[in-house]
Amino acid sequence: MNTVKQKDLILYSGLIILGLAAPFLFSAFKVQLTYLCVLIVLAMTWNLQGGEMGYNSFGNILFYGLGMYLTASVQVGMFFPLAEWTESGGEKTFVHTTAQYFQGIGVGLLVAAIVPTIVAGAIGYAILGLRGHYFAICTLGLGIAAGEIAGGIEIIGAGQGFTTPPFPSEIVDPEARGQFFYFLSFLVLVLAFVFVKYIYGSRFRLILNAIRDNEDKAEAMGIQTMKYKIVGWMCSAFFCGLAGGIMGGLIGYIDSTDVAFDGREMGVFMVLMAILGGKGTLWGPIIGATLFHFFKEGLWTFILGWQYVALGVLIVVIVVYFPEGLMGWLREKYPDRFGEVIDEKDRKAQVEIK
Amino acid sequence: MNKLVKLFTIFISAITLTIASISSSFAKVEGEYIVLGSAISLTGKYSSNGVHTQNGYNMAVERINKMGGVNVGGKSYKFEIIYYDDESNPKRAAQLAERLIKQDGVHYMLGPYSSGLTKAIAPVTEKYKIPMVEANGASRSLFTKGYKYLFAVLSPANQYLEVAIDLAVEKNGGKPVRIAQAFEQDAFSQDVRLGILDAAKRTGSEIIIDDKLPKELNDMAATLAKVKATKPDVLVVSGHTKGALTAIRQISEMKVDVPMLAMTHCDAAKLSKQHGKNSEYALCASQWHKNLSYKDKFFGGGKKYDRDFKKEFGYAPPYQSAESSAALLVFKDAFERANSFDRDKVRDALKTTDMQTFYGNIKFGPGGQNVAKPMILFQVRCKGDTCENKVVAPTKWASDKFYHPIPKWSERS
Repeated sequence: MNTVKQKDLILYSGLIILGLAAPFLFSAFKVQLTYLCVLIVLAMTWNLQGGEMGYNSFGNILFYGLGMYLTASVQVGMFFPLAEWTESGGEKTFVHTTAQYFQGIGVGLLVAAIVPTIVAGAIGYAILGLRGHYFAICTLGLGIAAGEIAGGIEIIGAGQGFTTPPFPSEIVDPEARGQFFYFLSFLVLVLAFVFVKYIYGSRFRLILNAIRDNEDKAEAMGIQTMKYKIVGWMCSAFFCGLAGGIMGGLIGYIDSTDVAFDGREMGVFMVLMAILGGKGTLWGPIIGATLFHFFKEGLWTFILGWQYVALGVLIVVIVVYFPEGLMGWLREKYPDRFGEVIDEKDRKAQVEIK
Repeated sequence: MNKLVKLFTIFISAITLTIASISSSFAKVEGEYIVLGSAISLTGKYSSNGVHTQNGYNMAVERINKMGGVNVGGKSYKFEIIYYDDESNPKRAAQLAERLIKQDGVHYMLGPYSSGLTKAIAPVTEKYKIPMVEANGASRSLFTKGYKYLFAVLSPANQYLEVAIDLAVEKNGGKPVRIAQAFEQDAFSQDVRLGILDAAKRTGSEIIIDDKLPKELNDMAATLAKVKATKPDVLVVSGHTKGALTAIRQISEMKVDVPMLAMTHCDAAKLSKQHGKNSEYALCASQWHKNLSYKDKFFGGGKKYDRDFKKEFGYAPPYQSAESSAALLVFKDAFERANSFDRDKVRDALKTTDMQTFYGNIKFGPGGQNVAKPMILFQVRCKGDTCENKVVAPTKWASDKFYHPIPKWSERS
């Protein structure tokens, strides 16, 4: 890892202070801020495949949904019979004590991080041989299939959904729940950032880039591309699982296709956010996710019923005017600020090769 | 890198400013308005029923405001509703509930459309102790969770079609029947299924087909092929509006002969209009019908509600609209009896609600469900080319005899 420069240090500590203070400064917006953290994590980790490796995955939602179901199942299953909890749409009511709730969610999140990582390894081994559009379509199918399958499994509530354990009622402060989930998601965000930043300074990223730019050549150079592709995907799955677990607890109700394996929304959003900000950059997905979330929360409520039309327009605008995302656009405009040597000839040549 | 840092600083301060500027909050009661909040499905798979719900709310708000509003503490207040679109998605609904309460400062909520979304919103309203009167979340499990601030003006989902099975057994000379059923994979429809399972157990009936239908429902040919082959006595289908439309479309296309067809959401799907004669003889569960003899001073009776609604929105009101209108009558009544805007006082007043509305009697059980109103069954009957929904059960309101068995397609003109 590169030594952190002083200016960066100021930036990072500023952001961390802002992040820690945010739920107190904007108390009414805690849930939205939690969503923001989760969206950034999803966009940032999607960027590892989509941006750095050049493998556009629509299947990361699989790990997100898996994490969500696993966290809830473990949290319930550790203390109560899971089948009875979900039976008849959750008719029976069991109550977690405060200690049980936090133990459950802790262990649940651990499982939600590990299992999707293993699943990503297994599935990756099977399908990462596919390239380009074939890979994208295959992963799209994965998410949809997972949703339909989960909707048929009785023990996790099937079509009736899974009501996750309610926040312990012994904690009377109504703000506590929001704060708990915010700090949890912020912690995951910081972890994800540190991890991705570390990857950006490592040889691993260069290998991912080599796979993106020319996989055959990379292979010919002696890189075991398959191995790196799988490991890359597993890294994403780890954080997607965690993000899903947190969201399950926050939403309080898991539905197979609309909340957990929500490929139509979350699955597309994570791609969109990374592209909006600029894929293949460290800060792009973060900026993309933030802007997207603000666009969504700010604008959507004013155009009741038309928000998806607006989203469609946004996608068209992004693709037409910012094909490289905001960061890409800035980079093109002010290459010197990104520490790039301005060699017009070379730049043009690069653009042409693309 | 230096400039980049500056860029971020500007970016972050911009965000901070934006948040600060939009966080101006509404009050629960603003001037002469009582502000209610609701997340409604205006887009997505429940959009048609979401609009029925919203129309029902709006109609009642307008009517109550016009007829003197809500009298609390000797002053007259008007209702106002803040709507958000939940996109038929539980995740969004939960988030919007939070937003209504925390950012818009709403202290009283109206329910969304569908059980799934209500299941997602109820924990939020419960956490902040916000009374919610809901009209479209019928899942039985909503009423066993010990929610203290949830009140539903409708009968639980498992009661929807239980009576239909009893009716089938009765028509079969008291002997058990063979049931084929297909339900959408969502909270409401699966609860209807539980009701059928109970009824089958009670009557000793056998379930020979038990299919699940996908959420984006537009094909159930596989189930119907099985029905054709096994010839059950009853076919039960439930899957909101799309389920009702798909079932009738494909049953008529495939000429499936079955003696009895029981469904939900026939009126929301405007079956008798959209499919005319093809939908004849379908037996439908409903929370309300315009022919019922309930009355109140705001809407008069069912028939007057039907007329007024048609005039305002251009179509006959399905029960989803009627029950949504009733939710506001309940709120008005509770505010006036509490004579206060204190949330807990309003909640206590809601708990002791015992009233009659054009939609039916309303009295809440310990879980928050309405225990004072039975479900009704109607059957689509046609005269010439115009088809209508005729109440056939319970006998108190029946305007027509239940027609059984359904004639074979080859015998239908």
